[in-house]
Amino acid sequence: MTHWFRDLDRILRGEATRSRALGRGSVDVRPGGLTALLVALGMVYGACMGCFALFKEGGPSVMQLVASAVKLPALFLLTLVVTFPSLYVFNALVGSRLSMGSLLRLLLAALGVTVAVLASLGPIVAFFSVSTTSYPFMLLLNVLVFAASGTLGMAFLLQTLHRLSLIPPEPEPEPEPTPSTAIEQVGEQKGEEPAGPSPGALEHAGDGPPSRQVKLIFRCWIVLFALVGAQMGWVLRPFVGTPDRPFSWFRERDSNFFEAVWHAFASLFS
Amino acid sequence: MKSALRPIDDLLRGRPAAAARAWWLALLCGVFYGAVMGSFGGRPGQAVYSASKVPLLLATTTLLGLPSFFVLNTLLGVRSDFGKAMRAVVVSQAGLTIILASLAPVTAFWYASTTDYRTAILFNAAMFAVASVGAQWMLRRAYRPLIARNPVHRRLLGAWLLIYGFVGIQMGWLLRPFIGAPGEPVQFFRPGAWDNAYVFVARLIWEVLAGR
Repeated sequence: MTHWFRDLDRILRGEATRSRALGRGSVDVRPGGLTALLVALGMVYGACMGCFALFKEGGPSVMQLVASAVKLPALFLLTLVVTFPSLYVFNALVGSRLSMGSLLRLLLAALGVTVAVLASLGPIVAFFSVSTTSYPFMLLLNVLVFAASGTLGMAFLLQTLHRLSLIPPEPEPEPEPTPSTAIEQVGEQKGEEPAGPSPGALEHAGDGPPSRQVKLIFRCWIVLFALVGAQMGWVLRPFVGTPDRPFSWFRERDSNFFEAVWHAFASLFS
Repeated sequence: MKSALRPIDDLLRGRPAAAARAWWLALLCGVFYGAVMGSFGGRPGQAVYSASKVPLLLATTTLLGLPSFFVLNTLLGVRSDFGKAMRAVVVSQAGLTIILASLAPVTAFWYASTTDYRTAILFNAAMFAVASVGAQWMLRRAYRPLIARNPVHRRLLGAWLLIYGFVGIQMGWLLRPFIGAPGEPVQFFRPGAWDNAYVFVARLIWEVLAGR
């Protein structure tokens, strides 16, 4: 159990994604433990989210709290399952060197960052859930918290992809001529490393901006993951629980995520 | 007497020795100002409640913001400085209450010279505003060496102020009444106050704009 947390801590501190640790072309974490921790931290935030239902009129709805705690990790993992094949195909198509295993580790690490930030904001969300009677406010606050942690997770993903692209390919049985720029960049970076403070997980490594290939892969992933994730969240709702409706595990399928956010914003003022 | 004032002096002048006693100072001065603030209308019960509420407000707000501040510090690569950042936060809380406590005689004088409840509220709001400006100045001073070492601390300071302000406003709203309206009974929580400050303000703005 403690080594799971140590793994996540190494990711957050940026130790798992330093150029030396990435030497084997992959983030150095155990996928099993990281997934378990993802579920645990997701449940923490889900429970904080579900706190709102404890104080609704007509008695507390404990089931909503349980449902939110179960559904939140499911949201992340199901989105990963649904999008993983296409993410891998895009990644291979654009010519990245990431293997399937290292892609999985990279995505799990990025989700780990996202869920860690979410869970750390959990107490604040729980406090507002308990002290607020306005349902639209809670919706907006949760969207805001998700946006903040999603942004940090994406920044982690982009920087790690960029760092991976700076690593020269491993010598294979028939060695290809390695691009000289990549070697130079890595050489410079290794020279710098002992001098300054250790770089953080979100810090930009090397000199120039991320290459076009990295940006292209990143954009494809983000668009796909965000679209599926948002809709997955919509399918799995309610997470917060409307005060005037009885508890249900799922709602009937209608409308979509973006329309609902707009309605919540508009009804805050009425 | 001189030695009793020494920690306060250290803290105000930003000497590093002061950080260890900052907790106690924050508690003591917070209780003191709370008691003076609650003494409006000469009701001892309200004074006791308010005395406990000021430290409660500061402590719970800090505790709620702490996990996210910790994760953000780690994620931006400055976990090794977290102890110093925390010290800066605690010192600035103590600074807030010290400034409030030093303003307590002014508040007492104001209470003695007027019986109007609304001006009492406004006066206390002004005192809190002055104290938070001072505390923020102390926080920035304590953060200066950290920012000089790694500019990412500037962003983290902004994030902390955002989180602290966001939670603190709601916490203050929740812990009402601090002064106690003269006509109402003495109570810890105001019944019906269990609501959201931001929603209240948004509705107010909307009602003004819609001309209702």
